[in-house]
Amino acid sequence: MNTNNNWELAEAYLAGKLSLQELVELKSRRETDEVFASEFNDNLNLISSLQSNGSQKRFRAMLSDIHKETAATKTRRAIQLPAHFWRTSAVAATVALMTSFISYSIMNSSKKSDANYTTISNTVRAIAVDQNKLKKIVQDSVINKKSPIVPTSDVRRTGTGFALTNDGYFVTAYHVINDGNGEGDSVYIQSNDGIYYKAFVVNYSAESDLAILKVERKNFQFAKNEVPYTLAARKAALGAQIYTVGYPTEDIVYSEGYISARNGYRGNSKQYTMELPAGHGQSGSPVIDAKGNVLGILTAISTPKESNTYAVSTDELLDLIEKMPAGNKMHLPKSNKLSRLSREEQISKMENYTFSVKVYKK
Amino acid sequence: MYSATNNDQQLLRALAKGERVATEQIYKQQFPIINSWLIKNGGSADDAADLFQEAMVVLFSKVQNEDFALTCAIGTYLFSISKHLWYKRLQQQQKGPGRLYDNTEDDGAEVGIAYEEDINVHHEREAHFNQLDTALDQIGEPCRSLLKAYYHKDKSMQEIAADFGYTNPENAKTQKYKCLTRLRKLFYSVQAK
Repeated sequence: MNTNNNWELAEAYLAGKLSLQELVELKSRRETDEVFASEFNDNLNLISSLQSNGSQKRFRAMLSDIHKETAATKTRRAIQLPAHFWRTSAVAATVALMTSFISYSIMNSSKKSDANYTTISNTVRAIAVDQNKLKKIVQDSVINKKSPIVPTSDVRRTGTGFALTNDGYFVTAYHVINDGNGEGDSVYIQSNDGIYYKAFVVNYSAESDLAILKVERKNFQFAKNEVPYTLAARKAALGAQIYTVGYPTEDIVYSEGYISARNGYRGNSKQYTMELPAGHGQSGSPVIDAKGNVLGILTAISTPKESNTYAVSTDELLDLIEKMPAGNKMHLPKSNKLSRLSREEQISKMENYTFSVKVYKK
Repeated sequence: MYSATNNDQQLLRALAKGERVATEQIYKQQFPIINSWLIKNGGSADDAADLFQEAMVVLFSKVQNEDFALTCAIGTYLFSISKHLWYKRLQQQQKGPGRLYDNTEDDGAEVGIAYEEDINVHHEREAHFNQLDTALDQIGEPCRSLLKAYYHKDKSMQEIAADFGYTNPENAKTQKYKCLTRLRKLFYSVQAK
């Protein structure tokens, strides 16, 4: 018996596309051929379950979208810092800055112990103080009443992260937050204005090398507006022009390239292979196409050539978001506000939502 | 017994098809009511969004059934379902022993809502869908992505053929049937466990 025919028949039956004669034939076959009937029933059940599960998923997505749109914008409460504390907070900020770092060195992922494949987060050794950032932090703490949190111990690794929602959810590469020996490390992000925020892990997949985190601070927002880019739900075409922004150093760095293979390292279909210059510290950076769609998350480069860069497709990220533990409501932006902007304008918007991720020993 | 007004019936028919305008209308009318009730009863705004959306899904599934009839106003139904979902959740968390839900003094019963049954059916369906998702996750590539693209993301075979690099939709379709055959095996073995 032809299996495909059985499926085709079940599909046509459910869609109501069978003629009267076909229906009569089907009925008599179901009555006389037991093997056929049981297989056909299983097929019917499976297809209709798949269909209703799918339409329910789309309905849920629409609901959270509606909710996001209708939810009233919550007002943020700022705590006024009394004038005589200013100096104290400036000192605190200075101390904070002493623990700010410039980073280098290569880190081989413990999981992918393959000489040709290097994940690109940074392990940090050196300490440097950037006077401008120091000033900025002090100013911010005074003017904006944002009190900087101070990570207290040594930084282990740095990477890059980017916002998924404006209220604090973001994504980075899993190996940035956990290299296999750093269980229980604390994770901070440092926004491009130099402020540290502590974050916690919400969901991750070691297999696809992705982690979703959330900024701990209550009523946190990355910027004034909702995240301006959207996550691509389908894989991009070969040759698509792409760019990325990330933090290989203390400053945000831009680089551009193209998708050079549909699949990733050793044919991994969850990844892209790209011709895109990337260095350590850029793990977790967004890979963006010309229209401002996020296609993937940078995770690794091939060594020693460093000519191939790999990114996990956003498909995987969307899957991970779908499987979020209960109690985490994430309302992804549905509209892309970057599509008509020039590259420079896109980047300047991206800067607000892209930041350095730093992992400290507990 | 109450029967839904014409306006309600129209809304529900549109809801069944997953039409956004109707869904949004119901959302905007009903959510604030449930939100303020829940906040008075120890829940947060996030809880309210959670419960209300769950109740909307219960209603959505219910109206898929063609011979379905709502015996009360949409708002009453959603409110009642949300409330009972909330009591169930409290019970599970053993948060408020004083506020355990009680069948006898329930206003849902007065207007003839079979909320208990609807919620049970909903949970069974969710469990069924979870098994299906589990099987889908185990099936491997490219089947997993292909079936998800077709059934979850509602893509056409043409789009899928283009996305997955098949030379024509017919080839993609053949692959889809192969995947369905694999899924059938997996799914019924997941169910058997």
